[in-house]
Amino acid sequence: MSYSRTQNFSSRRQQNWSRNQNTVAYVSAIKLGPVTHTVLIALMITVLGLIYLTQATRATSYDYATQKIDNQISELNTQKSDLEIENARLTALETVKNSSVATTMAAPTATEYAQ
Amino acid sequence: MNLELQKGSRSKFLAAIILFLMAIFVIRLFYLQIIQHGYYVSLANKEQVKRLTIPSKRGLIYALDGQIPVPLVMNQTVYTVFADPKTTTDNSKVIEVIHKIAGGNARPNLEELLNKKETRYQILATKITRAQADKIKKENLKGIGFQEESQRVYPEGSLAAQTIGFVDFSGSGKYGVEGKLNERLIGTDGLLQSVTDVSDVPLTIGNNNINKPAVDGENIVLTIDRNVQSKTETALSDALKRTGATRGSAIVLDPQSGKIMAMANLPTYSPAEFNKVTDAALFNNAVVSAPYEPGSDVKTLTMATGIDKGVVSANDTYVNTDRIQVEDRVISNASLGQTGTITFQHALNWSLNTGFVTVAQRLGNGKSITKGARDTMYDYFHNRFKLGQLTGVEVSGEAEGTVVSPDTEEGNAVRYSNMSFGQGLDATMIQVSAAFSAIANGGKYYKPTVVAGTLDKNGKYSANKVAAPTSPIAKSTADQVREMTHVARNAFFTNVDKPGYYMGGKTGTSQVIKNGVYADNETVGTYVGYGGSEEVSKYVIMVQVSGDNKELQGSRDALPIFTDISNWMIDYLKIQPKA
Repeated sequence: MSYSRTQNFSSRRQQNWSRNQNTVAYVSAIKLGPVTHTVLIALMITVLGLIYLTQATRATSYDYATQKIDNQISELNTQKSDLEIENARLTALETVKNSSVATTMAAPTATEYAQ
Repeated sequence: MNLELQKGSRSKFLAAIILFLMAIFVIRLFYLQIIQHGYYVSLANKEQVKRLTIPSKRGLIYALDGQIPVPLVMNQTVYTVFADPKTTTDNSKVIEVIHKIAGGNARPNLEELLNKKETRYQILATKITRAQADKIKKENLKGIGFQEESQRVYPEGSLAAQTIGFVDFSGSGKYGVEGKLNERLIGTDGLLQSVTDVSDVPLTIGNNNINKPAVDGENIVLTIDRNVQSKTETALSDALKRTGATRGSAIVLDPQSGKIMAMANLPTYSPAEFNKVTDAALFNNAVVSAPYEPGSDVKTLTMATGIDKGVVSANDTYVNTDRIQVEDRVISNASLGQTGTITFQHALNWSLNTGFVTVAQRLGNGKSITKGARDTMYDYFHNRFKLGQLTGVEVSGEAEGTVVSPDTEEGNAVRYSNMSFGQGLDATMIQVSAAFSAIANGGKYYKPTVVAGTLDKNGKYSANKVAAPTSPIAKSTADQVREMTHVARNAFFTNVDKPGYYMGGKTGTSQVIKNGVYADNETVGTYVGYGGSEEVSKYVIMVQVSGDNKELQGSRDALPIFTDISNWMIDYLKIQPKA
């Protein structure tokens, strides 16, 4: 048993040109099937994945750069500390007392004070 | 075909099996990913996430050179060189390089260590510097590694060793400032929690990263002036050779602030080699940790008590018979012959015990040391001059000493008669010198301190404010006792001080208690005095010399040390002489 439309109805509104109603409708001639849709989605996911990977790799490369700079800072700080220690040893009282300059110094015979 | 399907074909059976298997997978995945989620996340984190401790740097310790902080204790990165004998190939080259570069820091038996092929870790050299480590690294020796560690270094050697203390192998401060201020010096370790790569490089990926920087310990500036400290140690060392004493201690204080400019003890040790010390007594700072009977130095405090209470003055007199009866005991003078009616000034000059027992009696009813007199003496000695109380100086191991309360049975008249000339109580040198400073500075007691301030990481020095003093005695009292000690010093020791300056002090010769009785063959010699101009005392110096079975005297053995340091201080502080 089958049914068929016997009469086409059109409203009064459709019979007249209404405001803001397109008069021409474009319909794409390309038809995408389910396989194409799947492939496109897969491609989009791949592109997004690649973008993510690029960003993550870039962040990691920054980590390596940061680590390198941190190591340099640490190395320079160690060098600075070593130099400070060397400076402290060279200016220590015992070093100064035993220096060639100090051994040739003589005690003052008299001290005068400004009144 | 349709008929077969309806009946239940093999395909349908296969489909059911696949569905069943899929269901198993789904259930298993649900179990692993949902139910066991936390467990596997923690397993993954254990593998991928590293928690690294960022060690804090221990604070440095500075002394002063005039007003400028100079480092006394610093941190140095040193390295331990180790080998994995299984992987080392050219042993002879390793031995040659380590001996050549590490020198005395290399282990003596390198060949033996490298031949232990069954082991994976052998230490070849310790505490080598960064420069040495770099040289060894350049040799590209296979199987050689380096371990970094921080150690304390002392540019000034053993200067002020007992005041500084040391840091033990676990990184904890022991003795001295290192021990007392360990919490301030040690800082707080930081934490770095992060996903790392195979080389342990922290990566920013991950949600649970923590980067908490380490907080370094405070850099502490001491009030110790390295020049004064050095002079004090030298003067003490010379005196030990001269007198035959085996132990000596000295403290130099600024009486106008309580700041300790020097604190020395001999014999001493090198903090860098604390592990080589065999006698732990060397670590103690006797100035703060060894209470003793101060002897005649305390007569200045008895006199101050009497004057402050208005019962005596320098020129008041008493009759000296060289002996005085206190209940069932007779107290005699050490110096005999100054009998008759004499002034208290004369009694101080000759350090006559009878004079000061008389002061104690006059604090009571004039004839005996009553409970009221004992209460007064206790109030002055313990509460005002703070003998027998911790001063709170920032050095570990401070001892309290003992001043027996008159409320106890032992705090009787006999004990208080002894206390009037410095026996029967225990006090430390820092207590006596801080109390004496109140006489030298016009009646103000400043809490002695060894911390001048802090130095921030940019090298900016922030000085501590001087704590408000208390007033144990009136200014007029302090001035009178100060004058008395000036007269006492000049009564016997003329022409030893630089002319044009104003010095005063008091000798002390204390008997030593051994096995509960005073020993006949051992005394401790002390001297406490001040120096500066007539108007202002610039320093207070207290010295002590002692030795087993040595009879050392305040006037003969300790006073010259004071004089040596005092005359040097006049020049160092650039004090102008009176025209």
